[in-house]
Amino acid sequence: MSAVSKPLDVAIIGAGFAGIGAAIRLRQKGIGDFAIFERGDRVGGTWRDNTYPGAACDIPSRLYSYSFAPNPDWSRTYSGSAEILGYIDSMVAEFGIAPYLRFGHTVTGLVFDEDAGLWTLSFAGGRRKVRARTVILASGPLSNAGFPDLPGIDSYEGHKIHSARWDHDYDFTGKKVAVVGTGASAVQIIPELVKQAASVKVFQRTPGWVLPRVDRRTHGLTKQLYRQLPVTQSLAREAWFWGHESVALGVVWNTPLTRVVERVALMHLRAQVRDPWLRRQLTPDFRAGCKRLLMSSDYYPALQRENCKLVTWPIAELSPHGIRTAEGIEHRFDCIVFATGFEVSKQGAPIPVTGRDGRSLADEWRGGAYAFKSVTVAGYPNLFLTFGPNSGPGHNSALVYMEAQIEYLTDAIKIVLERGLRTFEPRQDRQDRYNRRIQRRLNATTWNSGCRSWYLTEDGFNATMYPGFGTQFARQLATVDLADFQLR
Amino acid sequence: MSFDFDNMLSKIKSKQWALADIEWDAPGAELIDPALHAKLKPFMADLMWIENVGARGFAAMAKKAPTPTLAEIYRYFHAEEQRHANAELALMRRWGMLDGDEIPEPNVNVKLVIDFLDKYADGMSLSFLGTVIPMLEVALDGALIKFVTDEIADPVAQEVFKKINNDESRHLATDYAVMELLGHASVRKLAIDLVGGWVKPSLMIGLLSYVPLLNKMRDNIVEMGVSEDKLYAAMARFKQVGERTPIANRVPMYRIVKMHSGWVINREHPYHLVADALVKITGAIPDRLLPAQPTWSKELTYEPVA
Repeated sequence: MSAVSKPLDVAIIGAGFAGIGAAIRLRQKGIGDFAIFERGDRVGGTWRDNTYPGAACDIPSRLYSYSFAPNPDWSRTYSGSAEILGYIDSMVAEFGIAPYLRFGHTVTGLVFDEDAGLWTLSFAGGRRKVRARTVILASGPLSNAGFPDLPGIDSYEGHKIHSARWDHDYDFTGKKVAVVGTGASAVQIIPELVKQAASVKVFQRTPGWVLPRVDRRTHGLTKQLYRQLPVTQSLAREAWFWGHESVALGVVWNTPLTRVVERVALMHLRAQVRDPWLRRQLTPDFRAGCKRLLMSSDYYPALQRENCKLVTWPIAELSPHGIRTAEGIEHRFDCIVFATGFEVSKQGAPIPVTGRDGRSLADEWRGGAYAFKSVTVAGYPNLFLTFGPNSGPGHNSALVYMEAQIEYLTDAIKIVLERGLRTFEPRQDRQDRYNRRIQRRLNATTWNSGCRSWYLTEDGFNATMYPGFGTQFARQLATVDLADFQLR
Repeated sequence: MSFDFDNMLSKIKSKQWALADIEWDAPGAELIDPALHAKLKPFMADLMWIENVGARGFAAMAKKAPTPTLAEIYRYFHAEEQRHANAELALMRRWGMLDGDEIPEPNVNVKLVIDFLDKYADGMSLSFLGTVIPMLEVALDGALIKFVTDEIADPVAQEVFKKINNDESRHLATDYAVMELLGHASVRKLAIDLVGGWVKPSLMIGLLSYVPLLNKMRDNIVEMGVSEDKLYAAMARFKQVGERTPIANRVPMYRIVKMHSGWVINREHPYHLVADALVKITGAIPDRLLPAQPTWSKELTYEPVA
C-alpha cells in the first residue's frame, strides 16, 4: 500500500451541507484531526451545482438551516440558491472550517483494512492515498446529474443544459427552448425561462401535486429581533418545524388528511388554470405525497403564457434538431433543458466501497440500499453516512434529519477515538431487525402506494425515505446505544 | 396464452414514426381522380376528426387502465390517433384541399361526440370504453381507411395508410386482449359495471351522439359512391373477433355493442328509423347552439415540424 502518511482521525467526503455541518460539530466536540475531501473547487454541494434561474429551496430557510448555526439574515421565507450558498460559505468562515478543506479531491474508492482498523481513500488523478480511522461519507444523494434514458439523446445537435449544471453563458433571449421534466427544479426554472425565451415547450410525463408557495420578504425589524433576541428565532424555527411535522399525517401516510392536501392542490389548480383540458393534463393520478410535492405559485401562470406550451405526448426520440413525440411531430429547439433530477444512489454505492473481508457495498446494495438507522452499515466498520438509506423526509426539512445524523455520528466517532477502537460496526441482527421494521412501516406510506418515483428502485423497493415523523427519526438517533454495535 | 402487455409496449415504442419521415411533396398527388377529389375533402375531414375522437377515448382509457403498462400503452394510443389525424390532415394539404392554414370544421355529429367525450369520457368505466372504442375503431377506422387504400392511387397516401394500418393492428390486438381481460372479471363486478354504467344519464347523451354518428358515416360512404357493405363487413369483424375470444362474450357491454352493431348492419332493422331521424334532427341544430370545442380538439396540425 502506498499510503504512508499518518492516518487522519476522520475523513469527510463532500463539502456540501452535510460535510460542513459534520465538520462544525466535530470541532465543537473537540475533534480536530480531520479533512474534508471535495471534488469541486468550492463548498456547497447540491447548492453549488444547482444555480439554474429560479433555484430555491421549497422548505422555509428558517428550517432549512442548522440549529447550531442560526442565521437571522434570511432575506425571504424561501431563499434562493445564491443565498443558501452564501449561508454555507458563512458557516465555513464563522466556524473556521476553511483549513480543513481539500478541493479537487475526487474520491475513487474506499478500502477498509480490518487489522489496522483504517480506511484508505484513493483519489482520481494519481493523488496520494490517505488513511483515516473513520470516514463520513457525505457525498449526498443529489450529487450526480441524471439525464433521462431517451432514445437518440446523443443525436441531438442543439444546446443541452442540465438543471444541475446550468450554463450561465447561454443567452436564452429569442431562443426556442424545450424543458424536459416537470419536477421540483422544472417548476422553478419554467417561470424564469418564459420571461426570456421566444418560446418554451414543457414536456411532461406525469404531473405532480402543486401547492401554493407563499414567499415573503423578511422584514428588517424581524431580522433585528432575531439578531438581538435569538430565542425568537429558535421559536420561529420550532413553529415551522411543528407546522411541517403535522403535514406528515397527510403526506407520509395515506389518511383522510391526504385528501385535504390534494383538495388544496386542486383548488390551487382550479384557481390558476381556466382551461379544463389543461387542468386535466395537470391533475395527478397518484396520491399526494407519493412523489415529491411541488411548491410553486408561479408555475401554472407561466405554463399559460403566450410563449409557453405544455406537451404531454410521449417522447418517441430525440433527433438532431429536437424532440419527436408520438403524435408524429418533430418539435425543434435551439436548446433543451433537462430538469430530470439526479442519479439518486438508492442502489449501489456512490463510490466503490470495500468493507470487511473484501465485501463490496455496491454488490450488497444492488437490490436496494439499507443501513442501520441510515448511518452505519454492518460489514463496513467506522464508516458513517449522511443522508444514508431511508433517511429522506417527505414533509419536513432534510436539514433537520441531517442534523440528527450528524449528532449521532459525531458522538459515535468520539467514542471510537476516545476508546481507541479498531472497529465500530453495527450488529447484523440489529440492522436486519431495524430494516424489517422500516420496510414494514413503509408499506403503509404514500410513497409505496403505487406510483413510480425516484424514491423507489425499479423493483419498487424503497431505499430512500423514512416512514415516520421527523421527531421519531431524531429520537432514534438521539443517543448511540453501544448494545447495537460490535466494538473491537 | 395470456397477452404480453409489456412486450406490446416495447413493440409500440419501437414502431414510432413521425410526419417528418414522409416526403409530402413526392409526386403522385395528381393521381387523384378530379371527380373523387371534390368528394374526398369532407370524407377525409370526417376521418381525421374520428381519429381525433378516438384519441380522446384512449386518453380516458389511460386513466382507467388497471396496470401502469396498460396506462402507458393507452397514452401512446392517444398520441398515435392524434398522429393519424395529423397525417390525414397533411394528406389533405398535399392534395390541395386546405385553404391556407385551414383546419376543416368537424360535422355536427362529430361535434356532439367531441362534446360528450369531453364531458363524460373520464367518468366512464373501462368495460364501457374498452368495448365501445374497439367497435368504433373497427367500424369507422377499418372501413374508412380500407376505402382510401382501395380507391386512392397516390403512393404517399398508400405509404401513410400502411403506417396507420400497422398502428391500428396493434390497437386492435390490445383492444381485444383488454376485452378478454375484462371477461375474466367476476360476474358481480361485471354486473356492477353494467348497471353502474347504464344508470348514468350521461350514457343517454352518449347514445344520442354515437347513434347518429354511425349512420351519418354510412351516409357519407354511400355518397362517395362506395357500397355501405364495406362498413358492414368491418363491423362484422367486431363480432368475429369476439367469437374467437369467447371469454370476451362474458362482458355484458361487449354483447350490447355487438347486438347494436348487428342492428346497424341490418338495413331493415327498425333501429334505423330512429337513427336516421336522429341524423336529421342533429343536422338541424344551428351552429350557435353547439357547445364550444374543447382545446384538445384544436391540437391538429399538418406541419411535420413545429
